[in-house]
Amino acid sequence: MSKGRILVIDDEDIVRLSCSRTLVPEGYELAMAKNGPEGLKMLEEGSYDLVLTDLKMPNMDGIEVLAKIKERWPSTDVVIVTGYQTVETAVKAIKLGAFDYIEKPFTPDALIATVSNVFRIRNK
Amino acid sequence: MRVRKSYTSLTGKLILTIGMLMIAGSMLFWLFLFKHQEKELIQSSVKYGYSFVDFVRNSTRYAMLTVHGTLIQQTVEAIGGAEGVMNVRIFNSTGKVVYSADKKHVGAILDKSSPLCLTCHTASGPVKDTPSWKIHKGEQNYRVLNIVQPIYNQPDCYTASCHAHPKEKRVLGLVEADLSLELLDYSIRQQGIAITAYVVAFSVVISGTLCIILWNLVSTPLTLLSQGMRKVASGDLDHKIEINRGDEIGELADTFNTMNSELKKAKNELMDWGNTLEKKVQEKTEAIQRAQQQLIHSEKLASLGRMAAGVAHEINSPLTGIVTFGHLLLKKFPKGTEEYEDVEVIIDQANRCSNIIKGLLGFARATTADKAATNINDVLNSSLNIVRNKADFFNIKLEVNMDPALAKVRADAPQLQQVFLNMIVNAADACEGKGSITITTRNVMDNGGEFAEVEFRDTGYGIKDEDLEKIFEPFFTTKPVGKGTGLGLAVTHGIIQEHGGKITIRTKVGEGTSFFIRLPALKETS
Repeated sequence: MSKGRILVIDDEDIVRLSCSRTLVPEGYELAMAKNGPEGLKMLEEGSYDLVLTDLKMPNMDGIEVLAKIKERWPSTDVVIVTGYQTVETAVKAIKLGAFDYIEKPFTPDALIATVSNVFRIRNK
Repeated sequence: MRVRKSYTSLTGKLILTIGMLMIAGSMLFWLFLFKHQEKELIQSSVKYGYSFVDFVRNSTRYAMLTVHGTLIQQTVEAIGGAEGVMNVRIFNSTGKVVYSADKKHVGAILDKSSPLCLTCHTASGPVKDTPSWKIHKGEQNYRVLNIVQPIYNQPDCYTASCHAHPKEKRVLGLVEADLSLELLDYSIRQQGIAITAYVVAFSVVISGTLCIILWNLVSTPLTLLSQGMRKVASGDLDHKIEINRGDEIGELADTFNTMNSELKKAKNELMDWGNTLEKKVQEKTEAIQRAQQQLIHSEKLASLGRMAAGVAHEINSPLTGIVTFGHLLLKKFPKGTEEYEDVEVIIDQANRCSNIIKGLLGFARATTADKAATNINDVLNSSLNIVRNKADFFNIKLEVNMDPALAKVRADAPQLQQVFLNMIVNAADACEGKGSITITTRNVMDNGGEFAEVEFRDTGYGIKDEDLEKIFEPFFTTKPVGKGTGLGLAVTHGIIQEHGGKITIRTKVGEGTSFFIRLPALKETS
């Protein structure tokens, strides 16, 4: 029994791989998408508790993905993963309903802490 | 003072003209006076001449009536011998000299064409039988007055016992006398000389006086004026013409002096303008150059910021991989082993890369500020709270003097905090773990504008002159490798510029450095 289903949307293979190598041993079930449209398609096909999405991606950026998820699957939590964070984008993300944001490069511990925080709140 | 003495000068011309007019006028006057005098004298001589011939006629009248020829001759001779009488002749009606003071002439008959006859007998027309006179040149050097007086037939003549003359005859003969005008000529000559002398003396005195008057009233002041004008034309605007007179020339000199001083004033103003203009142009040029340099600097920072944002995005993902897998690898080695330490180095260096990227991102953030009314003291306090408990500050004396009345500024508080943190961390680095950092806030006036100023003073090593100009350049650092990114001051500079403020440095090697950050004070709105 997994701790939860997580969808990682990031155009960078290494980021997706880092997430899976950090979170799978922690007991989470992970799915990967290379971009926004692909992630949304996967969301349509299956349900996820948490989406970790990159902010800056080709075709569709993280903010747009976040907006769409919150519109269609409001119960799914979203954590924004960003290469560089500014106050504006952080404020915008939180306003749109993001649970939290995490800055690259993150350590496995920081990622685990953020994700477990999401599930702790969800499971309350 | 050299005054031009020439006949072509105005005074020369005036003197010449007036002198000529004076001489011509005097000559005319002299001529008129002379002629008038001469006429008067001749008229009186003629009058005397008539009296003389009347006297001859009357003296011989009785002898004529009694026909005493000898007596007549003797009388005529006696009269003719008087001084000034040259000759006395009595003619009968036929033109024969009957009696004469000079006996040689007695008996001579004058031709009708002789000058004497022609005085009465003209070639045609009636005979003139009135007394007449004429003056002719004598044999000596004087003139002679010739008087002719007819002897009219009177009742006692034609009724005399001799019956020599019939009653019908009107003129019986004539008395002619030549009287010397020697005395008269002498007198006229003397008078002429005297009048000429008077006229010449008068002309000389008047001309001399005119010369002196014209010289002093016209020529000298005009020369002074023209010399003054030449001096002014050659650039001597301090020259003053000293003619203190109330007349037109004095007025001209005053006007000239006024014009000159106005000219000097205008010239000085122009020169002042020229100098000010030069200074202003220089100031403006410097300002433009400064603005240009700032623009280049800002543009450099902005493009670096844009590049940094791109780089950050690209590099942070691989760094995530390095950090994540580093940590995963770390778990595989027991603590204290060489492998564990090697992996720690990998993670540390990846984190260092991440810090460099964060520094670079400062540029991207500096160009997009979210400004609001901000109290610098508050931002400074929160910045100090962050650093206060850091180990780097344990042995550094931190002194803070905040002006409670510090003006608010329009700023992006997080960016300002970043600036203050940079400043404090830099000061601490400069102090190398000892000494003191003094932070002071105050209101200042600069170029008529109000500013809120923060001073960060450290007792560190100071900044070398050659480093001072590069200090705000990105990636310039004097810190040891791995300690500084060389971006802190560049980002600080970018943020302060973006806020319309300025950052200045006062430093002395060996004594320390002061950074002054000035931001425009927010105008109080009620």
